[in-house]
Amino acid sequence: MKQFYVFLLLFSSYNAWAQQAQTVTGTVTDAVSKQPLAGVSIFIKGTNKEIVSDAEGKYTLSGTAKEYVLFVSFLGYQNQDVKVNPANAHISLQPGNRTIDEIVVVGYGTQKRKNLTSAISSVNAAEVKDIPVAGFNEQLQGKASGVQINSNTGIPGDGAFVRVRGTTSINASNDPLYIVDGVFINNTSLQTVNSGGRATSPIADINPNDIKNIEILKDASATAIYGARGANGVVIITTKRGNFNSKPTVSINYSTGWAKAPELWDLTTGPQHATLVNEFYANSLADATSAADKTKYALPPFRPVSQGGRGLPEEQKTYDRLDKLFRTARINNYDLSLSGGGKGTKYFIGASYTDQEAIVKPLSFNRGSFRLNVDHKVSDKVMVGVSNGITRSYRKQGRTGDGPAGGMLQSALHTPTYLPEVNADGTPARWAGFDNLQVLIDNYDVNTTSLRYIGNLYVDAELLPGLKFRSSWSLDYNNYDESEYWNDQTQLGAAPTNGLATSNITQNSTWINEQTLSWRKNIGNKHDFGILIGNTIQSNITKSTFAQGSGFPSNSFTLISAAATRTASQTWTKSNLTSFFSRIDYSYADKYVFEFTIRADGSSRFGENRKFGYFPAIGAGWRIKEEPFLKEFDAISDLKFRVSAGLTGNQNGINNFAAQGNWTGGAGYPDNSSGDKPGTAPQQLANPDLQWEKTRQLNAGVDLGILRDRVNIEFNVYSKYTTDNLLQLPVSAITGFTSYYANEGEISNKGFELAINTTNIKTRDFNWTTSFNISRNVNKVEKLPIPINQYSRDWVRIQEGSSLYSFWLYKQLYVDPQTGNAVFEDVVKDGSINVADRQILGNAAPDFFGGLSNTLSYKGFDLGLLISYQYGNDIFNLNRFFGEGGGTRDANRVLFASQLKRWQKPGDVTDVPRLTAFGNNYTLEQNSRFLEDGSFLKLRTLTLGYTLSKIPKVQAVRIYFTGSNLLTFTNYSGPDPEVNVTSNQNIQGLDIGTPPQPRSFQFGINVTL
Amino acid sequence: MKTLQYILLLITLTGCNKFLEVKPKDSIPDDVAIVDKASAQAALRGVYRGLASDGYYGNSFQSIGYLSGDNVQWTGSQSIVQQFIEHKVRSDNATVASIWVAIYATINKANHVIANVPGLNDASLTTAERNQLIGEALFIRALAYFDLARTWGGVQIVLTPTLSSADKKGIKRSTLAQTYAQVLADLEAAEPLLTLPTTQNPVRANKETVWALRARFHLYQKEWALAETYAGKVISNTTNYQLLKPFSSFFTPASAVATKESVFELSYSATYTNSHRGQWQPPANGGTRQIAPNNAVIALLNDPLTGGTRSTLLGKTVAGLWYANLYYRSPATDPAYIIRIAELYLIRAEARANQEKLPESKQDLDAVRDRTGLTGSSAATKADLLLAIENERRLEFAFEPHRWYDLIRTGRAGTVLNLTDPLRYVLPIPANELTIDPALEPNEGY
Repeated sequence: MKQFYVFLLLFSSYNAWAQQAQTVTGTVTDAVSKQPLAGVSIFIKGTNKEIVSDAEGKYTLSGTAKEYVLFVSFLGYQNQDVKVNPANAHISLQPGNRTIDEIVVVGYGTQKRKNLTSAISSVNAAEVKDIPVAGFNEQLQGKASGVQINSNTGIPGDGAFVRVRGTTSINASNDPLYIVDGVFINNTSLQTVNSGGRATSPIADINPNDIKNIEILKDASATAIYGARGANGVVIITTKRGNFNSKPTVSINYSTGWAKAPELWDLTTGPQHATLVNEFYANSLADATSAADKTKYALPPFRPVSQGGRGLPEEQKTYDRLDKLFRTARINNYDLSLSGGGKGTKYFIGASYTDQEAIVKPLSFNRGSFRLNVDHKVSDKVMVGVSNGITRSYRKQGRTGDGPAGGMLQSALHTPTYLPEVNADGTPARWAGFDNLQVLIDNYDVNTTSLRYIGNLYVDAELLPGLKFRSSWSLDYNNYDESEYWNDQTQLGAAPTNGLATSNITQNSTWINEQTLSWRKNIGNKHDFGILIGNTIQSNITKSTFAQGSGFPSNSFTLISAAATRTASQTWTKSNLTSFFSRIDYSYADKYVFEFTIRADGSSRFGENRKFGYFPAIGAGWRIKEEPFLKEFDAISDLKFRVSAGLTGNQNGINNFAAQGNWTGGAGYPDNSSGDKPGTAPQQLANPDLQWEKTRQLNAGVDLGILRDRVNIEFNVYSKYTTDNLLQLPVSAITGFTSYYANEGEISNKGFELAINTTNIKTRDFNWTTSFNISRNVNKVEKLPIPINQYSRDWVRIQEGSSLYSFWLYKQLYVDPQTGNAVFEDVVKDGSINVADRQILGNAAPDFFGGLSNTLSYKGFDLGLLISYQYGNDIFNLNRFFGEGGGTRDANRVLFASQLKRWQKPGDVTDVPRLTAFGNNYTLEQNSRFLEDGSFLKLRTLTLGYTLSKIPKVQAVRIYFTGSNLLTFTNYSGPDPEVNVTSNQNIQGLDIGTPPQPRSFQFGINVTL
Repeated sequence: MKTLQYILLLITLTGCNKFLEVKPKDSIPDDVAIVDKASAQAALRGVYRGLASDGYYGNSFQSIGYLSGDNVQWTGSQSIVQQFIEHKVRSDNATVASIWVAIYATINKANHVIANVPGLNDASLTTAERNQLIGEALFIRALAYFDLARTWGGVQIVLTPTLSSADKKGIKRSTLAQTYAQVLADLEAAEPLLTLPTTQNPVRANKETVWALRARFHLYQKEWALAETYAGKVISNTTNYQLLKPFSSFFTPASAVATKESVFELSYSATYTNSHRGQWQPPANGGTRQIAPNNAVIALLNDPLTGGTRSTLLGKTVAGLWYANLYYRSPATDPAYIIRIAELYLIRAEARANQEKLPESKQDLDAVRDRTGLTGSSAATKADLLLAIENERRLEFAFEPHRWYDLIRTGRAGTVLNLTDPLRYVLPIPANELTIDPALEPNEGY
């Protein structure tokens, strides 16, 4: 490179010599420190020439011009256009937007990053907005250290698994608190229709294109100001606003694309299935001891039709149902915004429409949204403003996961491939309790419409110099309307039901009122004081009305009003919260930073004896770079140590009335045979001492900038310890109850986070930056009175000493090459394999996770690349559990191609045991054989764009291509290692009928006027 | 400064504790649950609904009785159901756990009524009404302990309502004899409190229902004379209870509920549906047919010499698959049949045979056979008669929960089911319960 500059230099000198020589010699210096700067790139405009300042910061231009227009660029400084001539050749560069000077949004205010004592990740929404998922939280995967994000399914608009520094709770919520423009928004799915275990994401109601910045508050010092809701981290979303005194800017964005499943399951063919089942019968017959069993397995089912069989194996056909269900899905996205401002008013108006088909027919997500953010200066001292977001999210829903009736993925995947799609008489065939796939695809009619308003109104007033008052009123309102219609072709609506319709309308509303008073004072340029006090009152009501009808005159009637039998139900629940909070900060000479925060929360949720809780935190920072011994040391551009400690709480996710002992009214029964009369029954046990969970968190961190921030490193270690876990603690059934809410367990999370940002190349034409992060979290249930089992068949167990998301299984050691029988570990050594031999094997939480992103730009081209990875997480593959049933399920379940690896004869070495109905080979359901390594590395997105800037009347036009999930490296045998069957928060990595995340390709154009 | 005043106002307003007291609208606090006549009646209905819940007579408990017998097969994928058919039930079987929970929940509900109604201070509640409320709850508690005893052996006995989570700690299992003694005590207490029904009402318990359960209870205890007496007391009321002809008329048409056949059945409605039909009906009828009659019972029911008109219990799909059609209604309002008059005839027949009253025994047996269009039994000896009664019960209650318990109580499970390990004659105590409650002991062999 250097030679090239020298060459250029020589070349330009030569040119100059040829004409009338005029030499300009000057120095480049730092505008603040006045120190000369070496290695600064200086481009001469109108030419291709570039020179570099020398070790003393000097540069020389030789040529004929009297004046040169230069473009000066230097890492860590703002780019600058300057005019130089022999008389005025000094160039003074302003230090650039350094990371430490970034404005970071914190609870109830903003701070410069250099003054932070806490751990906060900031994500610029523009970097991730092209990722074709519905919720912005899913877009953040791999972008923020310490934040684990997994999409549970490949269905757009579905909930994601988000954990900030691990999981702290079992029965209360583990999701972070989401705040959009000051509104604590609801993040609990309002879904009630069965979609096979999935749940919709309320976050998907927010248009990612409206978002400017996302901050993730991680440690106690940052989150304690959110008190009883801060333990799982806080995500603060700031939407776009206009600027005062700026011209109206119109931005138009359109993208379109296609999505497809990268890979599906590998199934046996009809003949293979038949061969396996016959082998199962033959082996079972050989093993049978009782007369009944000998009769049962006497004849292989796949024998000639003439002998009453299903035909010989080789006569079986193969029907591919997966191909019918999966499609190439279309994705379309339209965005339009107008922003600007005058002297007293600024505005942002945005409109957006997104339409995403799922790769599974007929599911889709589409969202139309509108945003209006306005701020107005009433006077020099008073400003008022509003933020409004209105969204309509419409979903075509369907059952993809567990459950046979109406379950399209199970129907497609789990029906044995040899079974025909139609009966001999041409009618659609239903097998093994599943619906007919084609009937489902043609008749599916399950829809949900979410109408959401999130808005905020504020008044800011400067009462005295430095003393500011703010009052704000917020509303989060969601009308969630669901309807199902199952006509008489489907299993659920088939005769004698004759059509089944349900309608459920849920309304969730939260109103919030907040006041803050803040005062800031700087004394003698050294002491900087700030104090904030405030209060919040908040009320939430969720209510729903449900109606169901069955017995329709024909398939043309689809409203419940036409049904012969109609039933209805209603729910209502409410919670109130009132809080007071304060933060005091002090910094001395930009060197030492201290912060203290406290919040008192009073909640209606808790027991009579425990209404109020107090959550304090302290933090301190030491900016070593400001110390004399480091101030002049150029190689290190920033160095800061941070420590914080504090207490936060968790009260979300539990029933609003969990502390009360209540009787339900829904237990009617007749007095005689003339119909139901009202009845009551005990519902839950009281716990007057029920209270919030408490999480103590310690955090220590280092921020390091090297070589004028060419490399920025942030490193944090933390330890979280949660006590008084809100638990639905099992009680002995003889009480008449199964569980009650109590504060019993303790959970710890310990880990570290490392984020490295580098600017690899920065020149006029070519820029390259890299971000890398890696996080580790170790979770442990420190105390739990009794183990708690999860999901059907208790696949997952929460128990003391283990991590959450642990699988509870029988360990298959090997398949005996002589007998073909699976040998299980006899843990208690009693000679038999029974429940006492089940053990914690494997865990769905990763050992490490993170991401790597690269951004490159060359002239008008830009290239972005994001890799996300996870290491050490396990998946329990329930699809294989069913698909490697060894023939025990015969015609009721598909057999996977992997079943063909079964043991057949002495000497065979395999982990797939001999097919038989007897013994433990295929009857022990919780078999560790189906536990797989779920580590993965995904090329999550690759974006290539080109910006045209020289079009009249147009600021910029960018055309781009984005590919998502282009490559996945994993050992997992299923189509996608990022899977989970259920929205149950205590379960991760349980894969059954989960649609994989699609690979997608999008083209887009972005016009700014 | 107006704003500051406003803040102070808000603070005082929110400081008010009332803001933090929110009460639900669809439930009421414990202490006002049973306070007068109406609330006591509502609470008693809740006990019946508990008895009729999915885990108990709604589905799961009934399934033990027929799955563990030899009449049905399982075509579904879950081996937890197959475990019953193969008599290899594991202690972590989820169905076993759900039944255990549902029965004790019903007991707790009954205990609330039994404990609170005697002290109610409500002038409108007459002594007869008060007795009726307590008597019905006692009957249901008796049935619940009877079901626990015959399924698991001796169990923990709780006779008081649960008021806090710590209420029921450290209670040991009673012996089988003690558990059955509790059943008898409750039945004996209920009997004088309940009256004879003025008109037949099989969805609620009355004095005759108590007699019917006593008949069954004494049969299980091999107290033949008592069994005969109590069965006879119910049979003699021919106004209320009759063996309906044809056989199917106690369950078809769909309007046939609470027929004269039923001494005690549980009522379901569009609001409270009976989940039973789903597993029995074929997909064409909106079910899964995961539980289906096996070949043996299909042959017996379809044989005119053994099944008679009981073949109407079976249906056949277009594809030729047989299914049981006892639970078929849509919406699923099929009653749960707990005691039918046919059972009382067969109880008396068995009790009489065991007392060597062979002609009288045969008379009762033939009454049941005649109703289903069969000729009289050819059994001549006591042994033949007992076998004939056993076989009759197998088909008469083909898809009702009797077969397993019959074979266990008569000691015939070894011969008929080839189940020789007596430890398998009771189900395992749910593994979860053993973990939760250190005072609870497992059943031997599990």
